[in-house]
Amino acid sequence: MSDKAIPLCQAACPINTDVPGYVSAISRGDLERAIRIIRQVNPFPSVCGRICTRPCESACRRAQIDEPIAIAALKRFASDQTKGLKVVQPPEHFYNETHMPTKVGTKENENNPPSPPFSKGGMGGFPGEKVAVVGSGPAGLTAAHDLTLLGYRVTVFEAQNILGGMLIEGIPEYRLPKDVVKEEIDYILSLGIEAKRGLSLGRDFTIEGLLKDYQAVFLAIGSQKSLLPRCNEVELTGIITAVEFLKQVSQGERPLLGKRVVIVGGGHTAIDAARTCVRLGSSEVTIIYRRTLDEMPAGKAEVEETENEGVKIRYLTAPVEFLGNGNVKKVRCIKMQLGELDESGRRRPLPIENSEFEIEADTVILAIGYIPEAETIKDSGLILGKNGTVVVKDDTGATNLKGVFAGGDVVSGPSSVIEAIASGKKAARAIHRYLRNLPDEKMEEYSAFRLLDDGIVKLISKSNMQKVSTLPIEKRINSFAEVELGYNFEQAVKEAQRCLSCGTGAVVTENCASCLNCVRICPYGVPVPGREIAEIDISQCQACGICVSECPASAINLKLETKEQVRAEMEDIINIAMKEAQEILTIGFYCQYKSPAGHPGGGNGVYWLGKLCTGRLDVFQLIYPFELGADGLVITVCPDQECHSRDGSRWLIKHIEKAREILDEIGIGANRLSIISDVEELSDFRKRLLDVGINPLRKGKKVKE
Amino acid sequence: MIVAEIKPFEEIKNMIKNYQKVLIVGCGSCVTVCLTGGERQVELLASALRMARKIEGNDITVGELTIRRQCDPEFIEQIKDEAAQYDVILSMACGAGVQGIAERFKDIPVLPAMNTMFLGVSDGQGTWVEVCAACGDCILWKTGGICPVARCAKGLVNGPCGGSQGGLCEVSKDVPCAWQLIYARLVRLNLQHFLKDISQQKKQPVRPRRLVREDLRLKKEPTKGV
Repeated sequence: MSDKAIPLCQAACPINTDVPGYVSAISRGDLERAIRIIRQVNPFPSVCGRICTRPCESACRRAQIDEPIAIAALKRFASDQTKGLKVVQPPEHFYNETHMPTKVGTKENENNPPSPPFSKGGMGGFPGEKVAVVGSGPAGLTAAHDLTLLGYRVTVFEAQNILGGMLIEGIPEYRLPKDVVKEEIDYILSLGIEAKRGLSLGRDFTIEGLLKDYQAVFLAIGSQKSLLPRCNEVELTGIITAVEFLKQVSQGERPLLGKRVVIVGGGHTAIDAARTCVRLGSSEVTIIYRRTLDEMPAGKAEVEETENEGVKIRYLTAPVEFLGNGNVKKVRCIKMQLGELDESGRRRPLPIENSEFEIEADTVILAIGYIPEAETIKDSGLILGKNGTVVVKDDTGATNLKGVFAGGDVVSGPSSVIEAIASGKKAARAIHRYLRNLPDEKMEEYSAFRLLDDGIVKLISKSNMQKVSTLPIEKRINSFAEVELGYNFEQAVKEAQRCLSCGTGAVVTENCASCLNCVRICPYGVPVPGREIAEIDISQCQACGICVSECPASAINLKLETKEQVRAEMEDIINIAMKEAQEILTIGFYCQYKSPAGHPGGGNGVYWLGKLCTGRLDVFQLIYPFELGADGLVITVCPDQECHSRDGSRWLIKHIEKAREILDEIGIGANRLSIISDVEELSDFRKRLLDVGINPLRKGKKVKE
Repeated sequence: MIVAEIKPFEEIKNMIKNYQKVLIVGCGSCVTVCLTGGERQVELLASALRMARKIEGNDITVGELTIRRQCDPEFIEQIKDEAAQYDVILSMACGAGVQGIAERFKDIPVLPAMNTMFLGVSDGQGTWVEVCAACGDCILWKTGGICPVARCAKGLVNGPCGGSQGGLCEVSKDVPCAWQLIYARLVRLNLQHFLKDISQQKKQPVRPRRLVREDLRLKKEPTKGV
C-alpha cells in the first residue's frame, strides 16, 4: 500500500473514479466538466448512475454527519444531461508492427514508452494490431473501449443478436431502460469498434481460431448458468431460472406466471425477478431468503421499494422440496437460524428442526447463484477453476494461454457492473503491455483517508440527502417504466453541494513562513504548527479556503481551485463584459451554496461569478476587477449563521472593508464596491453607479495593455 | 520577531511619484509573520499603486518579488537581474531589510514601504506587543522574564514609579505597569529577593552596534562594514 491517500469514495470505487472532482463540478453547475471527469475512467456513466452497487456511497464520510452523498444519482444526472456530448474522441492513429519496441527493458523502452494517442501510427492502409473481445457485457465493452483508445483495432463477438450482456438481458427495463444501455453502447462503438453479433464461442468459433487473426483475445463471457437448489422435484414445470425469465422478458416475451410466484434467493436478480413478476400481473409474489435483510446482497433501499410494490419477503426461509404433479403447486420450506460466520464472512444459516411449512406457488423462480457456461470453453485449453470460472494469473487477467486474457464474471463469478468495468480496464492495460512487449506494470495502490475527527463532525451543519423522486406505485406495477426519475438541476446541485469535498482542501507549500495565521483562523481547527512549517491534514480539511485567502505568504493552495484558475476566471468574465460594451460594467460575486440554481439577480446587466462560498474572496480579488476595468462590484454575503464555511461571511466583510479603504485611497472610490442582499438593492446600486460614472481607469486608455 | 506596519498609502505614493518603474520587494521572514510585508501584501500594494498612478495619468510599471529574508546579502543577490530593470526599489521589509538592499544596489534608490515598530511577540490573532528593546544587556533573569526596559513606559530599571495605579501605568490606562507585573511574577516564583539588586545603572549601548564572532570566521579579513 502506498502512502498516497485519497478520498474514501474514490478509494472504494473499483476504478478509482474522481468522485469529489465531478461532484464538485456539479455543485457549480458545470456538467460538461463533470462528465469529462467521469468518462476519463468509465464508459458506462448512465448505466452506473442507475445500477451501480455504489461502494463509494457506503464509504462516504458525509454519513458521519447525516447521510452519504447520492453519488450514483449525481452521476446519472451529469450523464443524462450531457447526452450527445462527444467527450471521448476516436483515436486518430492505430498501432502497426513497424514501430514495435525492440526489446523489453532496454533503455529506449524505459525512456520512450508509447503513450496514446500515438503520432506514428499505421495510417494509410495498415491494419494495426487486432484484438478480439468475446462477450459484450460491461467487462468486454470496457476493454474494447480502452483498447481502441490505446490505438488497437478491436472486434467484439457476441452470441446474442443484441449487445450488452446482462445489462440488456439481466436487468429489467424499470431499473435500467434498454435505450440508456443502447445509447451508451452506440457511443462506445462509435470510437471505431467492430461488433459481430450472433456468433457463439464453441459453436461458431474457437479461441484457437481467433488467435490466428487477432494478436490478443479478451474473454468476458460472463457467468449466466443458474445454480439449482438441491431439492426434490426441481424439474417440475413452472420452475424456471431467474436469468432465463429475465432474458425472456427483456426480449419482449410475457411468460404466464399465474397469481402466486415464489422466488428463491436474496440477490439483485431475485429482487429484479420479483419486481418483474409484479409488473406482469402476479398478485402474490414472495421472495424466500435463507438469511436476513442484513446479509442480503441487494441493498436496503432496493428491498424497501420492492416491498412497497407489494412483494413479500420471508427471511430465514429455505426451500426443501417442490411439490406438484407435473406442474409445481407448492414449495415446502424450512425455517432457518443464523450460526457461526462462514467463509463469506456472513453468518451461516442452519435449518431449525421440525419447522417445515408450505407456500402455494403457480411459478417458482430460482435465483440462488450463477456460474459461467464452462461448456463453451472446456476444450479451449484454459485452466478452469471450481464452478467453471477461468483461472487467471493475477489482477491483469492473463490466462495460461499466451495472448488470452479473461475478466468480468467469467473470472470472478457473478459480481457487479462496476467490478466488471474495472476488470475490463485492467485487462485492456495488460493486453496493451503484452502487445507492446512492455514489462509488467506495478498497479498503483491507494489508501483511503481516515474518518473525520469527532470535533470536526460536530462543526459541520446537517443537511439530508436530496431524495430522488420515484414513479408512483400505481404507475409502476402496470408498466416497465423507469422507477427512479432522477434529479432536476436544482436538486442535483444541492445534493452535490452536500459533498464535503474531501481531498480538495488546502496544501501548504514550502513558501510557508510559519506565521501560524492558518492555525489561528481555521474554523475547523485543522492546521497545526509543524516542526518547520504549518501542517494541514488534507484528510480533515473542509476546503473552505479561508486560510488560503489569509496566508500572508500566499503559501497555501486550494486543490478545489488554484489561484491561477480564480484569476483566469475573473479575467475571462471581464473580457467578455468589455467586449459586450456595457455602458456601466458591473461584476457580481455570489455564493453558490446560497443560490444553487444560479446567480441571484438576473437581467440587470451584471456579470456574475459564482463562488462555492464567497468567504475565500481575498482583498486582492476584490480590487483586481477594478484594475481590469470594472466600474462596480457587488457581492452577496450570506448571513453569518448560514455561512457554509462557518466564518466565511465574517472574513468576507473584513475583506470588503479593507478593499473599500484601498479603493478610496487610490481614487476609485469605495462606493463602487457594495454588498447587496436582493435585486432591489442591486438596482439601487446600479442607479448610483450611473451617477458616479465609469471607472476612472477606463478613461482614455484601455486597461492592461 | 520584528514587527512592522505598512506606511500610509499616500506617503508611499508620494515617495515613488517621480519613478516610472518600481520593483516592490517583499520579505518572507518577520514581516510576513506579522502579516504586513509578505507576498500577499506585495500583490495588493502593486495593484493599488498601478491603479492610483493610472488615474493620475502617470502609468507605472510595477514588479513584484518576495525573497526569504532581506537581511542577508545572499538572498538579496537573487534579485540582482530584476533589480537592474527598475528605477526604484520599494522594500516591504523592516529597516534592516531596506538597508540590506540599499547596500547591495548602490545605484538604485531603495525606499521603505513600512514603518518598523518593535521587537515583539504575538498576542493572539492580529495583535503584537513590544517586549524587547534590544538594549544589549539583558536583565530578564532578575525580572521574572518581564523586561522593564521595553515594557515600562519610562524604561525604568528600578521601578515601579509612583504612577503605578491598580496595576496600570499612568501613561496609558491600557498599559499594564511592567514593574507591577515583575513584582507579581517574582513573588509567584518566590524570587522577590532579586528586587534588591536590580537597581543598578544599565550600560548604555554605543551605537551603531556590531557583532563580530571570531569563532565563526576563518579569515581575518575585515568585515564589509555596512
